[in-house]
Amino acid sequence: MSHSIHLHSNVTIRRGRILRRDFLKAIPAAAAATGLLSWQDLLLANAPALRKSGKACILLWMQGGPSQFETWDPKPGHSNGGETKTIKTPVAGIEISENLPKVAASMGDLCLIRSMNGKEGQHPRATFLMHTGYLPSPAVKYPTLGSLVAKELGDPASDLPSFVRIGAGQGANASAMGSAGILGVDFDPLTMAAAGRPPENTSLATDERRFQRRMNLLDRLQGDYANQGGQEVVGDHQKIYAQASRLVLSPKMTGFDLDKEPQNIKEAYGSGPFAQGCLLARRLIETGVTFVEVALGNWDTHQDNFNRSRTLCGQLDQPFAALLADLKGRGLLDSTLVLCTGEFGRTPRINPNSGRDHFPRAFTSVLAGGGIKGGQTIGCTDSGGDAVQDRPVSVNDLLRTVCHSLAIDPDKQNMSSVGRPIKIVEGGEVVKAAFA
Amino acid sequence: MVALKYLFSLSLILPVGVVLSAAAQSADTPAKAAAKADQLLRSEVPFATPGKIAPTPIDDERFLRRVSLDIIGRLPTPEEVTAFALDPAADKRAKIVTKLLADPRYGQNWGRYWRDVIMYRKTEERQQFLLGIPLDSYLADSFNSNKPWSQIATEFITASGNANESGACGLIVAQQGQPEEIVGEVSRIFLGVQIQCAQCHDHPTDRWTREQFHQLAAFFPRVATRPNRQGGVAREISIVATDVDTQRFGQRPMNMRFAGTLEHRMSDPKDPQSEGKVMQPVLFATGNKLPIGTRDADRRGSLAKWITEKDNPYFAKALVNRIWAEFTGEGFYEPIDDIGPDRQATAPKTLEYLAGQFAETGYDVKWLFETIAATQMYQLPSSPRRDSDEEPMQHNVAQRLRADQVFDNILLVLEASESAAPPGMPGPAARFIRGPRQLFTTAFGYDPSARRDEVQSSIPQALALMNSPLITGALRGSGNTMLARKLAAIKADPALVQELYLRVLGREASPSELTTCLQFVKQLPNRTEAFEDILWSLINSAEFLHRS
Repeated sequence: MSHSIHLHSNVTIRRGRILRRDFLKAIPAAAAATGLLSWQDLLLANAPALRKSGKACILLWMQGGPSQFETWDPKPGHSNGGETKTIKTPVAGIEISENLPKVAASMGDLCLIRSMNGKEGQHPRATFLMHTGYLPSPAVKYPTLGSLVAKELGDPASDLPSFVRIGAGQGANASAMGSAGILGVDFDPLTMAAAGRPPENTSLATDERRFQRRMNLLDRLQGDYANQGGQEVVGDHQKIYAQASRLVLSPKMTGFDLDKEPQNIKEAYGSGPFAQGCLLARRLIETGVTFVEVALGNWDTHQDNFNRSRTLCGQLDQPFAALLADLKGRGLLDSTLVLCTGEFGRTPRINPNSGRDHFPRAFTSVLAGGGIKGGQTIGCTDSGGDAVQDRPVSVNDLLRTVCHSLAIDPDKQNMSSVGRPIKIVEGGEVVKAAFA
Repeated sequence: MVALKYLFSLSLILPVGVVLSAAAQSADTPAKAAAKADQLLRSEVPFATPGKIAPTPIDDERFLRRVSLDIIGRLPTPEEVTAFALDPAADKRAKIVTKLLADPRYGQNWGRYWRDVIMYRKTEERQQFLLGIPLDSYLADSFNSNKPWSQIATEFITASGNANESGACGLIVAQQGQPEEIVGEVSRIFLGVQIQCAQCHDHPTDRWTREQFHQLAAFFPRVATRPNRQGGVAREISIVATDVDTQRFGQRPMNMRFAGTLEHRMSDPKDPQSEGKVMQPVLFATGNKLPIGTRDADRRGSLAKWITEKDNPYFAKALVNRIWAEFTGEGFYEPIDDIGPDRQATAPKTLEYLAGQFAETGYDVKWLFETIAATQMYQLPSSPRRDSDEEPMQHNVAQRLRADQVFDNILLVLEASESAAPPGMPGPAARFIRGPRQLFTTAFGYDPSARRDEVQSSIPQALALMNSPLITGALRGSGNTMLARKLAAIKADPALVQELYLRVLGREASPSELTTCLQFVKQLPNRTEAFEDILWSLINSAEFLHRS
């Protein structure tokens, strides 16, 4: 009996989260199949799984290392602060840069960790560290956060992949964002150059009828090879092809279609690739995807920092605020952790090109949703932003905090190919104060 | 005095290929060595068949497909399949191997293999530096000119200067010039010893100590990689050596390493902030050592010499084991780059013999390929990878093709061409633009050192073959495509089916496959569409993606 409960729960739960409509539809069938159980029984039987799997995560990746002075930790009145002014938020005592007026209005949902503290000052290494909690190594392909979360919380039976990465671009800093590594390709991100188009190669090259005809022919033609020593190879291949065709034919693919959104929602997010990415993130979370990473690039402001940061903040501000409001409005914010961070911050000293250089020693990461207590700051920097003054938070502290929010055991070990156990997060402490 | 002595030892390195090829005379010929290896193998691992009888070797079609994929990374053309089948010569299998090894695509295929071996473990992510390294062409030239393996290893270990001018810089640049990462890779790749596991603590399952790891790292402390800035923009990177005190550079900011240090220090795990203990360069495998203070060129030169010396128990074995595994689907040791003294080999005498002979040839890589391809073991039929309780080395095993091989074969069978870069992206941006090959590689690539049964297929691979514009366009039966030409030239459906099978799978269709295809064609009103579907199915088959 418990076996059939398990089976039904897998059918009923997408990414472990109950989709209300699916659930109501599925219950009578489940009850009929088991013959005895009421839906309350089923719910109780699955309660632990449901709690855990209700969780999802959105990572807003600020590629290049945003200046904390021009975003979350301005220092007006100090020479390091430059021309950036502050703006008040609804939370007494917390001010952020005037470059982010809409996000400032959402301060009640945000927790600013102003005491991020590290030492990696090279983009790819710091990017890899922030995503994996480890420095790159030739011996072990450390898995990236999205893959770790997908493995722990994703629904293996889902049509869609559990981890989608949007707008990361190409090149060094994109590849340093990492992949599933030792966890295996099942947990690799589905990468999309941009929102607004279906993911690569998911549009059928022919009509559906002809596609099915081809799949049928393929099946029939593989028999001989399978019988001549290729049975395993063909078996694996058929499994992957079945999954791939399930993906392209899935009704859930509409999750990728932004045209399905009402105009007022689209307008709320604003325009531009990052706005579209944030809107898509929400749609995908709703469809059952576990982890969505949306990148906003070009924060590497060695020159003309103030103007460029202002422009970039303009791209971040409205979509970020809209995403929080939208998740909240749909009752998804409590179960969805939003993390906004770059790989490091920027120097207090303003260089001769009106720029700021790499600075991992003191910067800000932002958390919201997922049980995070909003309207607060954690830690602080000194008056000139030169050093962390209170409660330094390391990358691994931050990752451990993410795990805590998602109810993932950070000490769980995954095995590397040479049989070395690798903890999800090595060391570090949960920032307890971040939680309500 | 000491310095002079080691300068002298360095000078011994350069003519190593010349010296060793003179020794090649005394090694067995590939045919003889193959027979000896088979004999030894069956004394160590008899066939599990009744009467211990060897299974029938694969037929000519399958042999040609296997050996073409293994050596040049490409399928044979339909014409080559036919010519080989009709060739009456008794030694045609040995001859085709020699011919394939003389094909420049041999070097290209194996150059890409070794590029992947190195680059799948890279810790350097700055593509602007990596993309400029002529690693592929350096390796291709090295294999095509049959440079001794010892010389290739030496060039990687001793590389210096602008990486854009020397592909051999690839290994050190891939590890950001970090001594600990470099030696982990040098040991893994050239010796098959996973000593990097001893970086933080004594090796858990091998005899190596943390001290030995750091003694090995002590061959590389003076090495660093440094971007070459031109007008403020760094587009190239160099390997630089530091033989003078660099303390004046002061504390390096933010963990970046632009210059070496005179000596390697092993940190104290109990006190990570302390300076650590200065380590003397010692090669764990042989015990050879150098004094503190030795110049960089002598350190790396001596290390290369000691690693490639015939006395070194691992160097020849590491390559023989790897190539044997690539060719037969099962290494003497697995994983293929973990052959340390505390590991058990399947058929150790066979490996010992082949490695000894390989060293005897002066590390003649083509000799090794010819020898393994001539063995009975190589020419056995393929079956699925054995379970651990089954007898080893009873058959060959199908291997997934590597990304470049899949891509090249798609181009080959569809007669499509590879455009170097997408149009309309001129200037510096072009360095970062990825053409169809790179996009394909992202989906299909895997680390060649990984156990083949752990290499997983993925959904993006299936999607690329099913739907990608490249393939969809190239397999159309109309316009200027391979299929359009064949449809026009071959009017008989059975002949056209056979042509496509020969072309895509390197063999003729079986009677049942032929029947299935002909029925399929008959059911559809449109011949072009029907053959497009057949071609699609062959390209999307598991068989196309594997060398069996």
